[in-house]
Amino acid sequence: MKLLKFILKRILQTIPLLILVSIISFFIIRLSPVDPLAELRLNPSISQETLQKEKIRLGLDKPIIVQYGLWAKSFVKGDLGVTSSGEKVSQKLAERIPNTLLLTFVVIFMTWSVGIPLGILGAVYNKSSYDRLLTILSSIGMAIPSFFFAILLLIFAVKTGLFPVGGLTSYNFSDLSFIGKVLDISKHLVLPVTVLFTLSLAGLQRQMRANMLDVLDSDYIKFARAKGLCEGKIIFKHALRNAINPMITLLGFEFAGLLSGAALTEYVFQYPGLGRLILEAVMKSDINLVMASLMIGSIMLVLGNLLADILLIITDPRVRG
Amino acid sequence: MNRAVKIIVICLIGVLFLCLFLKKDAKENRYILDSANIKPNPDAVELNLDYPIPVTKTINGVDYLQSQLPIGKFGGEIVSSTIGEGPKTFNPFTSTDATSSTMADMMYDGLFTTNPMTGKVLPKLAKSIDIRGNHYIIHLRKGVIWSDGKPITADDVIFTWKDIIFAGLGNTSTRDGMIIEGELPKIRKIDDYTVEFIIKRQFAPFLRMLSAPIAPKHYFSKDKNWQNNFNRFLSTNINPKDIVSSGAYRLKEYVPAQRVIFEKNPNYYMINKNGEKLPYLDKIIYLIVGDINNQILKFEAGELDEISLKGGDVARYKAKESASDYVIYNLGADNGTMFIAVNMNTRYRKENGKIKYFVPIKKQRWFNDTNFRKAIDYAIDRDSMVQNIANGMATPLFTAESPNGIYYNSKIKGHKRDINKAKNLLKNSGFSFKNGQLYDKYGNQVEIDLSTNAGNTEREALGVMVKQDLADIGIKVNFKPIEFNSLVNKITNSFDWDLIILGLTGSPVEPHNGKNVWYSSGPLHLFNQRQPNQPLKDIRPWEKRIDELFEKAALKLSFSERKKYYDEYQQIIYNEAPIIYLYSPIRIYAIRRKIKNLYPSTLSGLIYNLEELYIDGGNRK
Repeated sequence: MKLLKFILKRILQTIPLLILVSIISFFIIRLSPVDPLAELRLNPSISQETLQKEKIRLGLDKPIIVQYGLWAKSFVKGDLGVTSSGEKVSQKLAERIPNTLLLTFVVIFMTWSVGIPLGILGAVYNKSSYDRLLTILSSIGMAIPSFFFAILLLIFAVKTGLFPVGGLTSYNFSDLSFIGKVLDISKHLVLPVTVLFTLSLAGLQRQMRANMLDVLDSDYIKFARAKGLCEGKIIFKHALRNAINPMITLLGFEFAGLLSGAALTEYVFQYPGLGRLILEAVMKSDINLVMASLMIGSIMLVLGNLLADILLIITDPRVRG
Repeated sequence: MNRAVKIIVICLIGVLFLCLFLKKDAKENRYILDSANIKPNPDAVELNLDYPIPVTKTINGVDYLQSQLPIGKFGGEIVSSTIGEGPKTFNPFTSTDATSSTMADMMYDGLFTTNPMTGKVLPKLAKSIDIRGNHYIIHLRKGVIWSDGKPITADDVIFTWKDIIFAGLGNTSTRDGMIIEGELPKIRKIDDYTVEFIIKRQFAPFLRMLSAPIAPKHYFSKDKNWQNNFNRFLSTNINPKDIVSSGAYRLKEYVPAQRVIFEKNPNYYMINKNGEKLPYLDKIIYLIVGDINNQILKFEAGELDEISLKGGDVARYKAKESASDYVIYNLGADNGTMFIAVNMNTRYRKENGKIKYFVPIKKQRWFNDTNFRKAIDYAIDRDSMVQNIANGMATPLFTAESPNGIYYNSKIKGHKRDINKAKNLLKNSGFSFKNGQLYDKYGNQVEIDLSTNAGNTEREALGVMVKQDLADIGIKVNFKPIEFNSLVNKITNSFDWDLIILGLTGSPVEPHNGKNVWYSSGPLHLFNQRQPNQPLKDIRPWEKRIDELFEKAALKLSFSERKKYYDEYQQIIYNEAPIIYLYSPIRIYAIRRKIKNLYPSTLSGLIYNLEELYIDGGNRK
């Protein structure tokens, strides 16, 4: 009951936040000297009539406050408007979101299931040669710029022909059997996942190691050791539960980055995800699309934090207090 | 400790000197280095210009179109690509971007098409045409059917023209172009396979405009409310199975941001010499790629069959061509033109009762002096631009029509860079040189602004070169690339610019399409733009002559008569130089050898005859 009340309170708190975010983003986009019709204006075969029609359709002839009002009204109703080329924004997003979720879920699952154990190992065997090796590897992982790494991998794919050059599916995808489809997608996922995995694994492993070291150094662990508790019980029952708390907050942020965090990698690998869509929308100043994606980003961030808080309540009795 | 600091300081100073030295070196050597790098134009495979055009052949009452090319093998697919986001719609009447139009045009044939070699109008869905004065009587093919098996008849043609195009649904550019003396052509059904268009007076571009796609009436008007939903009709989330089309290929699958797949339309009306139904290929696949780099990588990995090569890639591909599985074709200049427009505007607006000129008076005097504009024309080094900026992938241009156009005036030979001639022209107009700087006869130093859209690296590089070239005749140029939207605003609204580098794409077969630029009242009359509905009081004699030439040329039907008018218009532009043309890019393609029946053309591109292409052999030679 208490938990429910807490969740409700948090959700109510997010409403003014979302309104503020939407106002700021809307005005920044609209006040920049960008004309969504510029391309059309310079096209010799487009008539004034067509331009006028477009202007009315996009509401560009009304004052900016009215434009925001119109946008907000339709957003609340669930209508995200149309893109500058006339497609439904909601449909465009719906096309891309599953692809991005697939990529990010695979990456998050892999980094967490590898990064956390590696971090624990690093802390337990602190300063051993094993720990040093891990430190070197994770330093390399953190040092390589993702963009650059992605391009290197692409060149590798071209030269060896082992992996497809970008995309998510092959062109004969619809003719494949179910197993063929799964294999095809996994083959396409290998390179982008490698890039994102290397990057986030390094950070995660370092973070987990540091947390664990902190905890292992604390008095109650020393006490547990002095008491003669077996090492496995100390680490997994007492130390881990305390060391994992900050990681849960981190998971909340990862959730926020689920949809937009991989934009650069998506772009290099021509992955048909949301990040690439947003990047292209921003370049074209496609206002409805940019607004919708900004809103999705903020909603995801709020949700992620909420999720982290709820998880913390479950794992950490102190927060419940 | 002290020693370490000393070493670091010495190192830093060393690096600093090195930087300065290198920078100075780079600056001085820029021109020399670049021109030493000049590569000869890539000599690609000669184009085979005798493409045998398909003929009409009637078998069992069906008016087939028969391909005259060698018999090929059935099966296989071609993988091509499109850069950007992919199609926005499959409706040929609402598409505004190139990708959507390509896709939509694949699915819907028009009454006519263009002869890829001569640029003349060729029948497609129409069997033949009788032109009697202002009456155009079009005979349709009998027995030709839509992809769902229903016949293509006069009703579909009437529906397309009357209820879609003339009614102003979708993209209105075809309709706008057809308004002759304020009136749209009339259309009338004679019988099920004959329609008649009646126009008010002769209008040369008319016939070509009839190439617009024909829509199936029973499919487009299926919905009661179809007019209101027209812009959403055939949108990209449609189920491909529902589409009724007429083209050689029909849509099979569209995966957003990944690919568009077309499959063979078994009902298509084209046959080969053996009487077998075309097309040969089972599928045409367009992969949607984000940028040129990805496209190149995909071609190298063998995922694409065909690619348009840019700049430096040409030399690399050419070197590997003989040992590879592709051939390189040079299709010559494309429809694009790169130019510098001069703002010759002499008008003003009133602000708080004060007269405010769009262009300051002293600059107006320069820009309206033909000698001044010609001096710029002579001072510009087009050859160097072609070599250094376009990597040899362009051809110098001196007129408004690009060299692949059928109305291109080849008598305009142009000129090399000639500084002395430029200086003499300026002296004739009373300009003088002091300390290498140019002054007009009133003693004003000549200093002008040059602009282009920021982010376009090609135009930015051109700007830098123009600045250097004009410095040689003492003109000080301030080169400021600005954001595209602001640039458009300057051109169409505030008119406060001096020189602008821009590019436009024209039509190689119909100069009349450039009317928005060349008519004095045109909405894109760059060099002397008027506000909408402004009276044409201050029109220059040669501007008036261009107006007349465009009017007259549109009235004549014979090619040679029209050519005469369009030649004169190009000559006027060359002589008056209101827009100084720089170059036209050339197109180089690489395509796999396994693709046969290929007849690349400068007008229609690399693979326009998709029905007739076939695949033979593997990828290797």
